[in-house]
Amino acid sequence: MIRRWWPRGLRARLIVAFALVTALGAAAAAWAGAGAASGAIVSETERYATETTAAQIEGIAPQLEYPPDQAGLDRLRAAVGADTLVTYGDLRSGDWTVADLVTDDLRTAVRVNARLATQRVEADSTPWLLVGTPVMFTSPDGTSAASGIEVYSAHDLTGVQERLDDLTRSAVGTALLALPVAVLLALAAAGGVLRPVRRLRDTARRLAAGDLDARSPTKGSDELAELTGTINEMAASVQSSMAAMRRMQADARRFAADVSHELRTPLSTLTAVAEVLGDAAERMDDEARESARMAVTETHRLVRLVEDLMEVSRFDAGTARPRFEEVDAAAAVRDCLRARGWTDRVEVDAPGLVRLRADRRRLDVMVANLVGNALRHGAPPVRVRVAESGDRVSIEVADSGPGLDEEVLPHVFDRFYKADAARSRTPGSGLGLAIALENARVHGGDITAADAPGGGARFTLLLPREAEDR
Amino acid sequence: MRRIWTAALLLLALAGCGVQPSEVADGGRAPTGVASGVTLYFVDAEGGLVPQLRETDRLGSISEALSLLFTGPGHSELSTDIPEEAPRQVVVTARPDRIELRVPLAFDELTRTGIDQIVCTALGVHVQSGGSTDTTAVLQFTQTTAESKVERSCPLTG
Amino acid sequence: MAAILLIEDDPMVRRGLQLALGRHGHEVEAAETGEDGLRRFRSTVPDLVVLDLMLPGVDGLEVCRRIRASSEVPVIILTARGDDFDVVAGLEAGADDYVVKPAQPTVLDARVRAVLRRSVGTPDGVREHRDLRIDTASLAVSLRGEPIALTPTELRLLLTLSRAPGRVFSRQQLLEEVWEHDYLGDSRLVDNCVQRLRAKIEADPASPEYVQTVRGFGYRFGPA
Repeated sequence: MIRRWWPRGLRARLIVAFALVTALGAAAAAWAGAGAASGAIVSETERYATETTAAQIEGIAPQLEYPPDQAGLDRLRAAVGADTLVTYGDLRSGDWTVADLVTDDLRTAVRVNARLATQRVEADSTPWLLVGTPVMFTSPDGTSAASGIEVYSAHDLTGVQERLDDLTRSAVGTALLALPVAVLLALAAAGGVLRPVRRLRDTARRLAAGDLDARSPTKGSDELAELTGTINEMAASVQSSMAAMRRMQADARRFAADVSHELRTPLSTLTAVAEVLGDAAERMDDEARESARMAVTETHRLVRLVEDLMEVSRFDAGTARPRFEEVDAAAAVRDCLRARGWTDRVEVDAPGLVRLRADRRRLDVMVANLVGNALRHGAPPVRVRVAESGDRVSIEVADSGPGLDEEVLPHVFDRFYKADAARSRTPGSGLGLAIALENARVHGGDITAADAPGGGARFTLLLPREAEDR
Repeated sequence: MRRIWTAALLLLALAGCGVQPSEVADGGRAPTGVASGVTLYFVDAEGGLVPQLRETDRLGSISEALSLLFTGPGHSELSTDIPEEAPRQVVVTARPDRIELRVPLAFDELTRTGIDQIVCTALGVHVQSGGSTDTTAVLQFTQTTAESKVERSCPLTG
Repeated sequence: MAAILLIEDDPMVRRGLQLALGRHGHEVEAAETGEDGLRRFRSTVPDLVVLDLMLPGVDGLEVCRRIRASSEVPVIILTARGDDFDVVAGLEAGADDYVVKPAQPTVLDARVRAVLRRSVGTPDGVREHRDLRIDTASLAVSLRGEPIALTPTELRLLLTLSRAPGRVFSRQQLLEEVWEHDYLGDSRLVDNCVQRLRAKIEADPASPEYVQTVRGFGYRFGPA
């Protein structure tokens, strides 16, 4: 119940707490002040009442006949004042209201203690102060005994009560006056506390968004400053480890790029002489001929591998710049198959003209790598389906092989991943699908791999019709 | 938070107090002063000071008592050391710690016992009407003498 | 069968290409540096220059520029795939074609032969368009009677376009006909060659009269 009334925001909480504490403090101060003041007023009133009563009795007592008669009691009563009751044995002087007010406790105290006694009572919501006393009989040597005369006087405390009420009212008023000031102070304090908190939040957001340079200024030496310092340290350590990781990654990539680059010069020579060697092989004996042909084949394979590696490192370095132009996707697929002599082994299902804005060479690479993969790992027939849907063009390559294993599926686009370690005879570089995927992404598209409903693997290349230069 | 609310309510409850009824409290010494007569001091046969209760139905004031004292012991075996022909009017001035009595006599006209009679009677009335037993009396005589400044107390009572 | 000047700094690559091109029937003279290459170019006057762009000293681009400044001898540059900057700079320096390293001798040979070929189809007499005169038999081009020196590629581009005035040729078509490239040919070859051709025959290359651009499609020969 109470919980539901408790506001949620930190600012609101601070303000409410501040105001509450201030109000409590003011109330406590006012209460203590009013309490002390009312105590003083009441006790002063009581002292005055008892002293005047005693003085008035002592003033007239020596003149009273003893034992007193009714007239004597009346004189005594008149001397003490209104609302007074005087008794002596059966004799009594005074009004009955006082007699009604006097409590048994007071009467007993007066008789037993033989001293002046007071008591505050309330009758008909009027506060009264009762003063009761015996009149003493003192011998010349100072010993005293009760004379049997008792005086009870009642003093109306309504005036005192009113003064006390005024005091309380002004105390409450003062406390209320302090409240708006407290709220203002609370706003200021909340601002002071929340500003660094908000700064911290912004910093944390920027960190989360990847801006590792984000820091909060640390001011002062309070807990918030400590927290800020800790977060800054955390950000710094995350930043440095990220930087180290990036450096290592960049180093590794540069190394791969450098290696493939350096390989190109000797490969140029090898490529140049491989042909000479190939031609000359015809005139060699069997073993030399086989060796020469192997050298030629492997040189070509090495060239392709290095070219793929360089292509990949260009993607890693972010220097792969596509050149977009108007392409007919259907024609591109057919050209690709024809150039590689795959026309007989692959069925093409494509409409007449599929307009697409793409990099001609990269589109060729993607199709060649997907179809090449299907021919190597799947089983014929391999089908390529080109289709348009809205602002996208899809090129689907499906084979009739065993399909993709559950374990293989997540890794088909990994570099150098080979589904079947035993089948290392595959002439691919192991980078084909990875390069195809990178090329698709450069176009703002994607490639997905899945098993076709009828069995076999199906790779779907999705390209936006209007690739945008990035 | 619950505690803060509780404390606030408690304080507010306490703050709403005015004049509350109370138990019986002690208010000090009870007034005194009634008596069936006044005590005067005279001299017996051996010359000792003796109190004599004069039934006046009331205590009366110091000067009334001294006036009675000056009239003598009346019909009894007691005597007085105060000259009979002395004027009966004594001016009494009460100070916080002493009572000044302007006696219409010279110091030589009074014996030591006579002085004690006046002092004891005056202080006795003072005590009976609620005065302190430590109060002393100063007798101022008609002629200038150092005795007018002596603070005296009653040899019988204190 | 051509006299080729090969400028390549790596001795193994140089020797390997020399051997391979020799087997294709070419006569190859090799130079090691840009300076050496320019010297030999002036003394022997080859039919064609194969130029590696990465050379110590005077680099390949500068060599290409200097050759082009004084001669219409075709130049084929050797470049790394993806080094687009090299390709663009080389074509702007006046190269007729490029081959990506490592170069396969058969590919290089095919380019060499394509670039050297000057005629297109069978000669059909003289084509005259305003101030431009194209003699398809003698393969001479003149503007207002002044003979114009064109590289074989530029000449073949002009012959191809002017064969059917008004007809639009796509870049792809031009690549296949003029450069004898396959379907993956680089259209920048066409654009660069068009620019060089315009600089030679157009009065104002910015608003061409003879070789006109058809936005989104390709080029056509202007005066119908």
